[in-house]
Amino acid sequence: MVEVDTKDLAFKWGKQRGVGGKDKKVRFFQSFSYGSVEYALYDCVYLYGEGETEPYIGKLIKIWENPDKTKKVKVLWFFRPREIQYYVGVEDTAKDELFLASGEGAGLANVNPLEAIVGKCNVVCTSEDSKNPQPTEEQLRTADFIFYRAFDVGHCRILDKIEEKVAGVEVKFIFNRVEAQEPNVVLELDSAKKEVFGNAVASNKTEFPLKKNPSKEHTTQKSNVISINSLWKENADTNTSLVKQKSSLREQPAYRIRVESKISKTNDRQENISLDKSALRSVDFPIKGEGRVVKNLVRNEEKLKSSHDCNELEDRPSENVICVRIEEKVKSIHDCGELDDRPSKKAKLDCSVKVFGDKKEKSVRKLPVDLSRHDARGVGTVIDFEDKSRLKLVKDSRGVENGPLKKLKLDEKTKPFDGKNFVKSEKGKSSRDCSELEDRPSKKAKFDGPVKVLGNQNEKRGQKIAVDSDLIDAKVLPVVTACEYKYRLKLAKDSQVDEKGSSKKLKPDENTKLSNGKLPRASPRQFADEDKKFDHQIMEITRRPDADKSKWFRAIPWEDRMKSANELGTLVLLQNLDPAYTSAEVEDIVWHGFKENCRAKMIQRTSISSPHCGQAFVIFKTREAAEMVVKKLDEGCLWISNGRPLVGSTGTPCFPEKKPTFFGHFAIDKLRYQMPREMREAVSTSHCSQPNTIEYDMAMEWCLLQERSDFCWKQLYKRQGEELKILKSSLKSN
Amino acid sequence: MGSSAAQADYAAFLEKFIPNYMGPRNIAECALVEMEDVRQAKAVLSEISQFPFMMSGMPRPVRARPAQVEMFDERPIKPGRRIQCRWLEENDPDFEIAREMKRLTNKHAAEAAFLQKKQLQEEEKLAKQQLDTLKGNYKKYEMVDSIMADGTARRLARHYNLRVAED
Repeated sequence: MVEVDTKDLAFKWGKQRGVGGKDKKVRFFQSFSYGSVEYALYDCVYLYGEGETEPYIGKLIKIWENPDKTKKVKVLWFFRPREIQYYVGVEDTAKDELFLASGEGAGLANVNPLEAIVGKCNVVCTSEDSKNPQPTEEQLRTADFIFYRAFDVGHCRILDKIEEKVAGVEVKFIFNRVEAQEPNVVLELDSAKKEVFGNAVASNKTEFPLKKNPSKEHTTQKSNVISINSLWKENADTNTSLVKQKSSLREQPAYRIRVESKISKTNDRQENISLDKSALRSVDFPIKGEGRVVKNLVRNEEKLKSSHDCNELEDRPSENVICVRIEEKVKSIHDCGELDDRPSKKAKLDCSVKVFGDKKEKSVRKLPVDLSRHDARGVGTVIDFEDKSRLKLVKDSRGVENGPLKKLKLDEKTKPFDGKNFVKSEKGKSSRDCSELEDRPSKKAKFDGPVKVLGNQNEKRGQKIAVDSDLIDAKVLPVVTACEYKYRLKLAKDSQVDEKGSSKKLKPDENTKLSNGKLPRASPRQFADEDKKFDHQIMEITRRPDADKSKWFRAIPWEDRMKSANELGTLVLLQNLDPAYTSAEVEDIVWHGFKENCRAKMIQRTSISSPHCGQAFVIFKTREAAEMVVKKLDEGCLWISNGRPLVGSTGTPCFPEKKPTFFGHFAIDKLRYQMPREMREAVSTSHCSQPNTIEYDMAMEWCLLQERSDFCWKQLYKRQGEELKILKSSLKSN
Repeated sequence: MGSSAAQADYAAFLEKFIPNYMGPRNIAECALVEMEDVRQAKAVLSEISQFPFMMSGMPRPVRARPAQVEMFDERPIKPGRRIQCRWLEENDPDFEIAREMKRLTNKHAAEAAFLQKKQLQEEEKLAKQQLDTLKGNYKKYEMVDSIMADGTARRLARHYNLRVAED
């Protein structure tokens, strides 16, 4: 490791965590910043290793300053697959996969001078561990590396699971963090929304599109069969979906969540269809108290749950299906669960639920029992209640914290809900949603999206939410809609209140992206299979995320990279670009068009380059990506602004193995060897030749040839230009 | 072809070759040369276009032309330029035209490659021809040289009763 001048002014300590060592002279820190980059504990960083072509990658697990002012960091290592190849054969490693050091022994972690850090590294944990907030697609795409397995340095073996504690660090610090990063916010919201949408549809059709629990689907089908109780079930669905929705919304740790619950009424006496409405979360800037709130909720929830259980048992028709389904959901939720405070991304759905989820475990446990005993009917109810109560609770606490208070009534009775008012219904237990959301206008936008997706009808329905219990579908949908509608109202209402934050605007294309129903989870690698999923919206080419990532390392010369890329099949030649584009713009276009990161290089113009069409070599990360791009460009048509469909082909650059003879440079061999004295002493010169030499005559011949070929090129490009022009004029869109 | 070059009289800066990734390796290479000021640049351009400019005495003259933005590798993004792109749907009225344009792009590239090849062949032909001429000329001079050197010329002169200057 290299010592660098530590007196750099760009360096600043962040928050101090404590002191230690002898005489308490060692100061431990939470973070530090260097230049404009802030490094915090548990960040992943690149470290300079002398003699290494690639930087080491590690996670900061301790940061301190010794009494002698030397700065140290303790680093938990990540291994690149080739680093552990020697010890263990690892197959099927992704190119960007890392292995977390684990176990005990050399190589787990080291203390290094802080100055060895060369930059931040974006490492995303894709472990399916329930405690790991799953990364979003976006994050995966922008990740430098991913990991989900560990390498036990003691036993030299691969662990498929991350242990509870690694190098004394709790696993929650190793998994993804819960704080959403600014740039991701928009996307996450969107995905949440998407899910909402999915749910709504699902309840409408009694089908769950969610892939998560296959069994869920199964149950839904069953539910169809059981027509009697389908109402109930529907409700349950809605509930659950709402809950989920809520949860998903809620998930963003960085935001404040408001939950509002509504009860809508049904005429079905027997069943109260209580619909929980979902949780709205108002998106706000990160609040500290979040964790606490959640916890409270959870606790409350539990209590409520228990109290309600009994009530409900009697009057509900039993629904195995529901139970099952709920249970499943619960489970899944719960899976994801334990981590309240992790930064999560993927987990939008799950997490939110999860948050509640801990408590839920109990209920889950209960479920099986119930099922056996009461055909699960009771269980269903219970669960239902739980959901509801949860919602309410959430709401409650919210209110307490910083909103107007909301009273919750849990009940079986439903209130008719027409757009704005809730009426309490028969049993007098009404729930009111008092939650005021502080919302940003932008939130509104968010909600609108889903509503639209649902269809126009919803809008209508939103206003009258009288629900016919007979029409299951209708009912369910309206409920959902109602929620949304309400949200909107609220939003509108509350927009005055808002605390302002930086506004996140949804871009239209992002919205649409959402609507194509992909789960956020899809990883970039799967992307290739999802052909045709592109929306046909116009994309404005902007800088792609992390485009300006600082580069600490001297780039490998392009020629070398291109050569190896050519061997690996990751090189693609793009044609028909505007010659004025720069390499960076080409990279951006590729990012927007294919969601792939790449390195691009525009081919520089020379005297014989076409003025109509620019070319660029593009290197992708994987061969699959390159092939996908070529295929997609071949089949589809990526239309770039000024009327240019992009053309892609597998690049075949030529490399300077052996330079062939360059015509027009001659030498008389004999003379070369017996070089006259004058020439040896003369400096090689360039000159305009005199007309009285042989060279001059020869040069004239060359000039003639050059003129001729210039003319040819000119004619060729002129004709090509005309052809293009004719074709362009036939474009319908012009 | 198309290389920029600096007059020996002028100071030239920052010479950088434009890499040739696409074409055959033996096409003329290009280099970017920065002159001290506009006046010099203009002078170089006009002089090189008027006289064949030889580097190291090679008969194939170097040429010059003003540099263009696109010839530079590391150039900043043009501020304010907005690029949009979208995937055309298959039922888009322009889809077929776009296809046609793609085809045309490929065709144009092929045409350019062909012209390039043709041009190389011509260059080769000319070079071969010149080389032959050069060799012939060289042989001629050598012959002249040798008859002067080995006294043949003098003998013949005596034989014909001619006076040949000895110097």
